[in-house]
Amino acid sequence: MSGVVRTISVTRRAVVTADGFWRRRTALVVPALMLLLAVGLVVGIVTMDVPANTAPPGPQVFPSIVAAGLFVLAALLAVDVVRRPEPAAVDIVESAEPGDLDDDPDGTTELRTTSNHRALLGALGTVVVFIAALTPLGWLLSGAVLFWGIARSLGSRRPVFDVFLSLAVSSIVQLAFSAGLGLNLPPGVLGGIL
Amino acid sequence: MESLANLGDGFLTVLTPINLLWVLIGAVLGTAVGVLPGLGSAMAVALLLPVTFSLDPIGAFIMFAGVLFGGLFGDSISGILMNTPGNSTAIASTIEGHKMALSGRAAQALATSAIGAFTGGIISSVLVVFFAPRLAELATLFGPAEYLALALFAFVAISAVVTESVLRGLAALGIGLSISVVGIDGISGASRFTAGIPELFDGIDIVVITVGLLALGEVFSVAAKRGSRDESKVLPSTGRLWLTRRDLRLAAPAWLRGTAIGVPFGIIPVGGAEVPTFLAYGTERRLAARRKDAMFGRGAIQGVAGPEAAGNATAGTAMGALLALGLPTSATAAILLAAFRQYGLQPGPLLFDRAPDLVWALLASFFVGMVVLLILNLPFAPLWAKLLKVPRHYLYAGISVFAMLGVYATSSKVLDLVLVTVVGLIGFLMRRYGLPVAPMLIAIILGPLAETEFRRAMAVSEGDPGILVSSPISITLYVVLVLAVVGAGIQKTRTRRVSRTARERERV
Repeated sequence: MSGVVRTISVTRRAVVTADGFWRRRTALVVPALMLLLAVGLVVGIVTMDVPANTAPPGPQVFPSIVAAGLFVLAALLAVDVVRRPEPAAVDIVESAEPGDLDDDPDGTTELRTTSNHRALLGALGTVVVFIAALTPLGWLLSGAVLFWGIARSLGSRRPVFDVFLSLAVSSIVQLAFSAGLGLNLPPGVLGGIL
Repeated sequence: MESLANLGDGFLTVLTPINLLWVLIGAVLGTAVGVLPGLGSAMAVALLLPVTFSLDPIGAFIMFAGVLFGGLFGDSISGILMNTPGNSTAIASTIEGHKMALSGRAAQALATSAIGAFTGGIISSVLVVFFAPRLAELATLFGPAEYLALALFAFVAISAVVTESVLRGLAALGIGLSISVVGIDGISGASRFTAGIPELFDGIDIVVITVGLLALGEVFSVAAKRGSRDESKVLPSTGRLWLTRRDLRLAAPAWLRGTAIGVPFGIIPVGGAEVPTFLAYGTERRLAARRKDAMFGRGAIQGVAGPEAAGNATAGTAMGALLALGLPTSATAAILLAAFRQYGLQPGPLLFDRAPDLVWALLASFFVGMVVLLILNLPFAPLWAKLLKVPRHYLYAGISVFAMLGVYATSSKVLDLVLVTVVGLIGFLMRRYGLPVAPMLIAIILGPLAETEFRRAMAVSEGDPGILVSSPISITLYVVLVLAVVGAGIQKTRTRRVSRTARERERV
């Protein structure tokens, strides 16, 4: 992450990765999530305190139907993912010397979507920092952190300019919504000064 | 004629300077989010919801109407000029619209789409004015069993009929239903799935869910897609803006046909305007195939006119169904339903008696909004396309700030910020692995209704499930539902077979 703007030519190529079973079946996360929700529902149903004089059907019936449905759907979805994995080829963006040819200029090969994990974690991390900082630091500063961090993870190349821009955005929001519309935003450490 | 007098009163409410300002703000905001790819009017309304708390309900709903229709006007601009539809409702009109732009007729394509959206919107609004009160009277015949049938109809229609993969649609529905049961049970008072956390006793706020799914989920998914091949160029809008007589002769019947296709879909809960826009596109294509000078594939004006009119016609009657039946037939309508509840109003038959001034002002604002949007979009469409030059990272950074602001402003609870992040991650996973978002939203909105009506019906019949299918209305609903599912199944296998033979033919 140097501050110098590099001028590179970028080639995209469809690459078939050798290792494959799990990589092509990352969609199994979804049935796993459903399983987790269903187990959570079951635990909640079993441990629920139902008031004594409740007329049937009680508060446990509907969640039980939902939980049962989730178990069945999670199983079916898992089978579907295992049987029909995503394409093996991935779209790889890499820097290259000028003159390198693009293997797949038309984008005709069926490609598996790959996620830019660093950008995703950057965005998620920014949100987590924002939430943690909101009460102690106040809206003005943590809002600026949020704007700066998301812009950075989404590919902004001007970190210094962004500092001023994000402070401006966050102050405008503070002025318009807190002073103007009367929303309650935490003042934080700047509370005494403002 | 009573409707006309009421509508007149509505116009008197809307045509005040302050309410006209709300219409204008809504229309501008709606068009802006419509133009930007990946952002729809559903998300715009969700973000605005907390911010409009300090407005009176009439002002807020007038603005929401502007946003709703503005999104549908704007979404085809980026589709025509960039080949990236601003929203899924503009995919059908993008196919021919972008070809028109490529052949130097961008201005005509934009004009056709704006006039088409106007035609569809106005005609469906007129129908809503005359038939919504009738529909509301019909709705008073509905008891618990009928409402349960309606909710089940919405669940199955939205997740099985509309989406590509029935399994993924139902999975999204299940995830939504499991979130909808969190909180204190209204009938028995039992605390459910709250883990003893008092902040969860009221359940998870709908603003948290919509903002997380639609706004934060989109931000995460844009981050994850950074560096992949989806860059596109904006084509300049060239050509004369005015349609020639020949253009008009081709487009005018297509506008009307599109409207006719779109109107009935507003009342059927199939999740919005995707289905009618594609039906309109298919109809125009088939009709044009009979003519010798058909332009399909090279930029046919009918291919823009039909779907665009259908999209707005659906949105118009969807508002009618929401107001009269309290039934959300699309994701945007679902969020508007949440907006009504935030103001302590329950859409449905009683709304016309309890808040007539609001209802009629809202209906009048459709007409005013449509005219404002036509003025905003017809001459200025190329200007709107300039919005696409705002760097993406700043755009989404701004959306994140507004999303968090909106969530925190509604409740002042840090827990809600954590929840919105978790829902945002779920939204990202759903986008990444092809699960539709609409069934989850419908499940969260209608889940509690389905459960309450089910338990009421069972309590009335003292546990006899026969009551669920004892009235002609509920039997009809279930029969139509079964027919729709079977019909969709046949349609799907047929298209699958056609595409398979097409692929085999290519290979030979």
